Amino acid sequence: MTAFARKNADKPPMLIYDKVRKNYGDFTALDGVSMHVNSGEVVCLIGPSGSGKSTLLRCTNALETIDDGEIRFEGKPLPKSDTETRKVRQRMGMVFQSFELFPHKTALENVAIGLTTVRKMDADEAHKRAMALLAKVGLADKTANYPANLSGGQQQRVAIARALAMEPHVMLFDEPTSALDPETVGEVLNVMRNLADEGMTMIVVTHEMSFARRVANWVVVFERGQLLEQGPPQQIFEAPTTERTREFLSHLGWNG
Amino acid sequence: MNLDWSIVWQSRWLLLEGAGVTILLTALTMLIAVPGGIVLALMRGSRFKPVALFATGFVELFRNVPLLLLVYWAFYVMPVLTGLGLSPFATGLVALCLNVSAYNSETFRSGINSIRKGQTEAGLALGMSKGEVFRQIILPQAWRRVLPILASTWVSLFKDTSLVSVIAVGELAHTAMQIRSQSFRVLEMLTAMAAIYWLMGYPQAKIVDWIHRKYGVRE
Ligand SMILES: Nc1ncnc2c1ncn2[C@@H]1O[C@H](COP(=O)(O)OP(=O)(O)O)[C@@H](O)[C@H]1O
Ligand SMILES: [Mg+2]
Repeated sequence: MTAFARKNADKPPMLIYDKVRKNYGDFTALDGVSMHVNSGEVVCLIGPSGSGKSTLLRCTNALETIDDGEIRFEGKPLPKSDTETRKVRQRMGMVFQSFELFPHKTALENVAIGLTTVRKMDADEAHKRAMALLAKVGLADKTANYPANLSGGQQQRVAIARALAMEPHVMLFDEPTSALDPETVGEVLNVMRNLADEGMTMIVVTHEMSFARRVANWVVVFERGQLLEQGPPQQIFEAPTTERTREFLSHLGWNG
Repeated sequence: MNLDWSIVWQSRWLLLEGAGVTILLTALTMLIAVPGGIVLALMRGSRFKPVALFATGFVELFRNVPLLLLVYWAFYVMPVLTGLGLSPFATGLVALCLNVSAYNSETFRSGINSIRKGQTEAGLALGMSKGEVFRQIILPQAWRRVLPILASTWVSLFKDTSLVSVIAVGELAHTAMQIRSQSFRVLEMLTAMAAIYWLMGYPQAKIVDWIHRKYGVRE
């Protein structure tokens, strides 16, 4: 295999996963996962449903606690205390498959709530920032809408703006387009692509293989809680080293 | 039959005062039992087992004892147990609050549980504390679902306050009964009492219907 230099490989990685294990009762959802994410990289996590991709994201921002191994973020292991955990979460944005916008708040309030509640920023300033972020995701005219009055694609873009409001160092996307009508998938992927172009560090769980192929710097294939294979998209999509990766990709209709 | 309705008119100020006490009792009970219900619901969800156990015991006890019995208990037993000498009004209020807090706790618990877990996670992911998530995200949403049920509870409570008349709290039922026994105008006073309860209760029931229509869950 030809040597491949990962983005910012000369700098310390932003996230390091070292033999991470996560159990749900008797079931092992993550079985000794080791990988890392450099700053500015877009890392796509792919693999069959139930292989542990969401679990890895949820362990990353401590929505779940790991049972063994270590996750290091910006040089430090994830903290144990609630207060420290909250500080870490502010530096990680998360985007959910089901958006999880707050239905009793307008688009603007959804984006501003982190600033006013967590950062204790005054409402005017927070709304100004929220306005700018909604404009950035192409929703300057929807600030007063409640989530119920937005399309799926629009809701997901608000959710991205909400996460960006905290000025995160890394964005975690968990199948951000899986719940969308096909015609609104593109607008969300565009926003993500623009973010990537700005240099945002991103971990993206996705079944959008063409997005992974074009935007990812690094692709990680999961199966049954284990890391099956990882590499640059060219390798994963054109010359996968394992038969299982090949099978998974052809199952999704990917033919190289 | 020899009916004399003038007794009702003669007693109007007394009856009005009784009605006032009924409304005051209802309002004060709700004012205490709504926060009480929220606190109990939170305690039941506590990770600290003794707290959760205490709240569960409290709710299951006071929800399942007949209110009338609770009123008698508060009147005869509570002073002995606690050494407190409360007025009949305060005693009645305590009994109602114990019962309605337990009810409201169940109402809030189901309201809170009906909010998807993802909403909590979205709040936590922004760096909010659990308290901030509860106050900013869960409670406002649960509130909409809970409001119609609380409104129904209010109307039941309004009628149930008549039970505290057995310990001589001067609310509407007790007042009417007193006038009845002094004037021997049984039929007139009971009819008047029913009419007053209905006149006050019917508009409340209509308001509740309206709240159900406006806030009822439509998902
Ligand atoms: N809270 C949980 N309790 C029990 N099992 C869970 C829980 N969350 C996830 N799992 C299990 O862990 C496995 C991995 O789940 P997940 O990370 O969501 O997979 P993926 O995102 O790759 O589809 C699945 O088999 C799932 O059923
Ligand atoms: Mg998943």
